[in-house]
Amino acid sequence: MRRSSCIFGLLVVALLYQGCAFIRGNYGEDLGQGDVTTIQKGISTRADVAAVLGAPDRIIEASGREIFHYYHYDVKSGSVFIFSRTNIKSDDVFVIFNGTGVVEEVVSGKRKGPLEFQFWPFDWPFH
Amino acid sequence: MMLRNLCICLILVLAFASLNGCAQGPVTWRRLTLNQTISTEDVIFIVPGKTDISAVVERLGAPNEILASHDEIVTRYYFTDGKYFKANYGWGFRFVIPFFAPDLDLGGGGIGRDVFQVTYDNHWLVRDHAFAFHSRSSEFMAWPFRD
Repeated sequence: MRRSSCIFGLLVVALLYQGCAFIRGNYGEDLGQGDVTTIQKGISTRADVAAVLGAPDRIIEASGREIFHYYHYDVKSGSVFIFSRTNIKSDDVFVIFNGTGVVEEVVSGKRKGPLEFQFWPFDWPFH
Repeated sequence: MMLRNLCICLILVLAFASLNGCAQGPVTWRRLTLNQTISTEDVIFIVPGKTDISAVVERLGAPNEILASHDEIVTRYYFTDGKYFKANYGWGFRFVIPFFAPDLDLGGGGIGRDVFQVTYDNHWLVRDHAFAFHSRSSEFMAWPFRD
């Protein structure tokens, strides 16, 4: 009796979970904060930065400066029956060079809060 | 007794399995967000002419975009919110006409984007900053034919 109840319970749980999915993905390489700290303002050159972080994803020209843009996207998606939510977070690093090709500024920092797996698509009743 | 319980289990399993198509159900709500909101309270520390880019990045993180504009540099933070709803109004027919269940999907949604923009001068000091709120323009839409 007890055994059949357990089997029954497991089957019910397994069947209830058939509409669920949790998926993780990312785009681009996650740049470690340690790598970024090796770049020194006023000293490091384009070649030094490329040696540490690799080729940039994008190069921007702005007010006589050249900017290397590196980005990484993290995706967490959850679906439970009729509800689905996908959260995406971007992490960007900008290395700004002056007219002589030396690092003038490094713009790097994590956005607030970690990325969460969620399936509830509404703001209420949690907000 | 044992046989009876097994039969009940088998019937329930078959009943649940036959409802396999119900996993998605007649209605669907989907939400997509890119990054997190930045509120006006989060940026009260910014003082134009005094706060520099390092202080801004330390509190808010790196921006999503850097743009050039004449003699100044513009950084932009984005928060995108998308909502989508779909209802299959023909779903209930499968209980009335088991051999023919037409799908009639109606629904809709939208995507809105908040932007926080900070402008810096040539010395990386904040010149001005501004918000644009549009994320509330996204909504779950049950009826796509309205004006």
